[in-house]
Amino acid sequence: MALLEVTDLSVTYSPRDSAQVRAVDGVTFSVEEGEFVGLLGESGCGKSTLGNAVLRLLEKPAAISGGRIVFDGRDITEASEDELRPLRWVDLSTVFQSSMNSLNPVITVREQFADCFAAHEEAAGRGLDVDERAGELLEMVSLPRDVLRRYPHELSGGMKQRVALALALALRPKFVLLDEPTTGLDVVVQREILDRLAELREELGFAVLFISHDLGTVVEMADRVLVMYGGELVEDQPADAIVHDHLHPYTAGLMGSYADPRDEHVEVAFIPGRPPDLSRSHEGCLFAPRCPVAVDACESEHPELLPAGRGEARCLLVEWAVADGVPARKAAPVDQLDAVFAADASPRGAADGEPVLVVDGAGKTYKVRRGGKSTSVRAVHDVSFALRPGRVTALVGQSGSGKTTIARMITGVERPSDGTVRFGSTDVGSLGRRALRGYRRHVQLVFQDPFSALNPTRTVAYAISRPLRNHLGLGKQDARARAGELLETVGLSPAAQYLDKLPHQLSGGQRQRVVIARALASEPEVLVADEPISMLDVSIRAEIVALLDRLVRERGIAMLYITHDLLSARLLADEVMVLNQGEMVEHGPTMEVIREARDPYTRKLLAAIPHPGAPRPGGAQTAGPAEVATPALP
Amino acid sequence: MGYFLRRTGFFVATLWAAVTLNFLIPRLQPGDPAEAIVSRLTGKSEAVDPRQVEAIRRLLGTPDGSLLTQYWDYLGELVHGNFGLSYTYFPYTVTEVIGDAALWTVVLVGVTQILSFVIGTLLGAWAAYRRNSRVDSVITLGSTFVGTLPFFWIALLLIYVFAITLQWFPDGGGYGGGSTPGWSWLFFSDAFQHSVLPALSLLITGPIGWIIGMRNNMVQELGQDYARLARAKGLPQRRIALTYGARIAILPNVTGFAIALGSILGGTVLVETIFNYPGLGRLLLESVSNKDFPLMQALFLFTTIGVLVANFVADLLYGVLDPRVRRTEAA
Amino acid sequence: MSSTSNVPAAATTGAGDTELAGVAAVEAGRSGRVPGWFVILWRNGKCRLGLVMLAGFVVVAVAAPLVTPYGPRVDDFGLSEGPSAAHWLGTTARGQDVFSQLVYGARTSLIVGIVAGVLSTVIALVIGLTAGYLQGVVDEVLSFLINLGLVVPVLPLMITLSAYAPVKGLGLVIIVIAVTGWAFGARIKRAQIITLRTRDYVTAAKFSGDGTMRIIFYEIAPNMTSLIVVGFMGSALGAIGAEAGLSFLGLGDPQTISWGTMLNQASAGGALLTGQWAWLVAPGVVLAGLITSFTLINFGVDALSNPHLRED
Repeated sequence: MALLEVTDLSVTYSPRDSAQVRAVDGVTFSVEEGEFVGLLGESGCGKSTLGNAVLRLLEKPAAISGGRIVFDGRDITEASEDELRPLRWVDLSTVFQSSMNSLNPVITVREQFADCFAAHEEAAGRGLDVDERAGELLEMVSLPRDVLRRYPHELSGGMKQRVALALALALRPKFVLLDEPTTGLDVVVQREILDRLAELREELGFAVLFISHDLGTVVEMADRVLVMYGGELVEDQPADAIVHDHLHPYTAGLMGSYADPRDEHVEVAFIPGRPPDLSRSHEGCLFAPRCPVAVDACESEHPELLPAGRGEARCLLVEWAVADGVPARKAAPVDQLDAVFAADASPRGAADGEPVLVVDGAGKTYKVRRGGKSTSVRAVHDVSFALRPGRVTALVGQSGSGKTTIARMITGVERPSDGTVRFGSTDVGSLGRRALRGYRRHVQLVFQDPFSALNPTRTVAYAISRPLRNHLGLGKQDARARAGELLETVGLSPAAQYLDKLPHQLSGGQRQRVVIARALASEPEVLVADEPISMLDVSIRAEIVALLDRLVRERGIAMLYITHDLLSARLLADEVMVLNQGEMVEHGPTMEVIREARDPYTRKLLAAIPHPGAPRPGGAQTAGPAEVATPALP
Repeated sequence: MGYFLRRTGFFVATLWAAVTLNFLIPRLQPGDPAEAIVSRLTGKSEAVDPRQVEAIRRLLGTPDGSLLTQYWDYLGELVHGNFGLSYTYFPYTVTEVIGDAALWTVVLVGVTQILSFVIGTLLGAWAAYRRNSRVDSVITLGSTFVGTLPFFWIALLLIYVFAITLQWFPDGGGYGGGSTPGWSWLFFSDAFQHSVLPALSLLITGPIGWIIGMRNNMVQELGQDYARLARAKGLPQRRIALTYGARIAILPNVTGFAIALGSILGGTVLVETIFNYPGLGRLLLESVSNKDFPLMQALFLFTTIGVLVANFVADLLYGVLDPRVRRTEAA
Repeated sequence: MSSTSNVPAAATTGAGDTELAGVAAVEAGRSGRVPGWFVILWRNGKCRLGLVMLAGFVVVAVAAPLVTPYGPRVDDFGLSEGPSAAHWLGTTARGQDVFSQLVYGARTSLIVGIVAGVLSTVIALVIGLTAGYLQGVVDEVLSFLINLGLVVPVLPLMITLSAYAPVKGLGLVIIVIAVTGWAFGARIKRAQIITLRTRDYVTAAKFSGDGTMRIIFYEIAPNMTSLIVVGFMGSALGAIGAEAGLSFLGLGDPQTISWGTMLNQASAGGALLTGQWAWLVAPGVVLAGLITSFTLINFGVDALSNPHLRED
């Protein structure tokens, strides 16, 4: 019997004044003792809700509306809080998504350990020395013992997450639920924590349900992967099967969005469309509207999760293939994904063209006053590069490396303290307020967070027509017509359908397209894109990359692409600059920088990229050969 | 310790501002303030007591001196604790008059404020602990309803019912005619009898702010991730409610409480007027209707300083109780 | 709020309930000619009750001469009479009709509530927005002013100010209330604009070539509507209570008939002793009624900022 058995579990949100939402629908799976199971899905698919349901932590308006959860032979679906308490943390523990906020802010780290020892005296052992045991646990996650005396706000995000992990292991539980445990942390820190986690699991042998949207990480860490879509499980396979023999078209799409940037030939796929609205009932397959291989029956017949391949899948095509005795892999022709973006596919502007914008020895030093003493902080030091029409320059670095400061100097928000930023013959640093406004006609920004970049109370037409009216001097009617054309350009068609929408009526990907359309409105020569895809769901990222690529080529725009993600840099950029602590440590053609990285920081970034199917840090599983690390696409 | 330094700076600055405000208010009116006041007094067709004019002159300083000299003189008098003579209670100094009244107010309002805070915080915490239950709605709706009733009206009804109709308690005053102030049992029991109705009226409305504040803060805290994690940890309900809910939710209320204690001096005008209670609030109103400007100025200043000191103490206390603010304020 | 609510897929709008309210208002307003915020308020049951009550008070106040049997100052009736058919709530110690005074008193409360509420909201808005948007030295100075306004005890300040004022009158009461009651609103508005001004869409507006004023009024202000409405409701409520308190203490305008003055006279005129409960109870009940209507409307304003109104 498995350690955790979830049978036909459903969770419904019943908010007081809006429609019910079936967030989790008839989910069945199990986790064996010591097994590491990954739960993969995009935002809104119900994976965190499922996690909370398993821990029996749902709060109103969410409630379990059907099914059973059996843990270690005990049915805990209906168990009262008093019955659950002895089980909690002793057998079942967790690390939450938002590490920033999961520690009590007004008590020390030591007390957070002490109170779970006190609540479970039996499991912790009577007369236990809290300092000794908690200290051991901290050392286990590579933190010094003196962290015990600190308050949460005195720790960095990565340290807090390590504390949370140590806390989760404090009573040696049989099962740990990890809900996006490293989201929001710097990539290199993420890597360190995950490696440590894999080692600890090896040592202690607890079972894990690892919830994440990050396919690369899940596949690399897990023994078995569950894929969730629209509140349902659509696939359940061993990790290596997910990589090589996935059955569901959605899984294929997700796998397609991953590639190794070091490969000779890199291409990624994306899944057009948006996830289903779960407050409405759907007749057919939930994925059908986005599925590249859907047939008529998919619209009307809801598939079941049935045994297929080495696990289970929920797809009519797979079902029929199994019934016909054909190998399932061939039945769902995942290779038919037509939405694919390949790097280096088409010609770009000339590498030695006349630059539109030149950054020459630019540096920025901030004066910080604290308690009367004034210290200076060097954010950027002696950076030089040029942006050329029709070419993309990627600026790579972790948070705090000075990427944003460079973007601010280029857009005229900050003046460089040393060196110059020149646009044609204009010295950007010396522009006054009025001149700066004129300058921005030529240099525009694409923002990271599409939710914050559009005013929630203003329509799409308003947002796009402002630069048209201010910079190009168009009249009201002309601006609206031109806004419509721009929407078509960024792939929002028919434009009339989008012009009068408010941002919240659009999906994240659609919003980002509107943001891009606005940036294009004034016909700029230079586009600064600040992590434009990092907040989007994995399945649509490549779509935006493809759009940016097309715009650069067709319009001859010079683009500075800021990112921490080497894969998208590889896909989009002609040259790459790596920034570390304000200094440029590497600069060259993309392939050269990525494949022959010299700087230790660049190497760290490369090492932090997950390798699905490659040998894992814990070495528990024999993996497939390294050359098939990337999914096979035509 | 940047936080504490900053708070001290703020305290000193507000103190100065309050003192200056106190100096400026009487001078805001057009013309020579002393003349204006005197003429207004004479305009009331009563004989003007020369003592009053003298008191006004003292209060306002030499009218022909520049504003700056006046301000300097005024500060000098303050430093020496010299607030002048009250002319309604001549020949007592303002300080003496205030000292007498202060005791009454501090005892009555101090006790009711502390009780209000304790009752309000407990009820609020209980409502939050049992959130969305019947207990919660009774407490929340009840206090919202009582909160809409005008305070002085409740006080009048209390007098009407308990003093006049039922005659259980006296209808006003600090003590009865039969007893004289002193350290006697008779006097204390008499004073207690007189304080029941004012205290009751304060206790009906007093806890409401604490109830609602505490409940809302605590419901919010219990919805935070750390409270959810505490539940996942299997901590006892009580421990979660106390350490992860109430412990954090009470912080803003602590500041509020210190300020409430400080505003004892000023916040009691209504209750003391209605119950004819010999405290600071009634004194303030009396000084206003008697045009006893020195007394009024001093009362306003004392009240403000009281609040400022309380606010300062609250800030310091907050810094000790909440480890977060020390850092965030300094940064 | 917490991570359990990741269904349906939703935006993370940190500061943003007021932003949502803005959206909700814009959205609801599209359907017809009625202002958007009103549609949302009307949908909420409690709030509808509050609006109806408030409308009732307004109608009665405006139509006071039609509603009342006598003039409010006519004093040729019997002194301190109990309720009767001729005088539903009895007469005052000076022989005036209590019911007529009660009706006219609604005018005073509403005028004070609206005018003082608007005044202090405007002061709060100007100071809060300037401090929050400009930052730097201006912010330091204005923030100090706001903090000072928060700690200076309001009632003594009101009393002192009204004692020194050369003229008495409703105008003075209103000004005193507005001058002493803006600080809290200003602090909240300052905090809100500090959050909103760092939004990417504000930067985007700058890049679109919009000027500072346009940004404040077209980009930021629509996202603060619910905050401004709540602020106004709070100020109006405080003003109505303050006027009643000041008048009750005899510091208001003796020429104006208000519920506070009525209670003052009832208390002074021996209503407690003569058993004229109607004279004593009625002003308190209507005052509580008016305050209740505001409180109920505030529930609706909360609904305006409720995230559930957001559709996916």
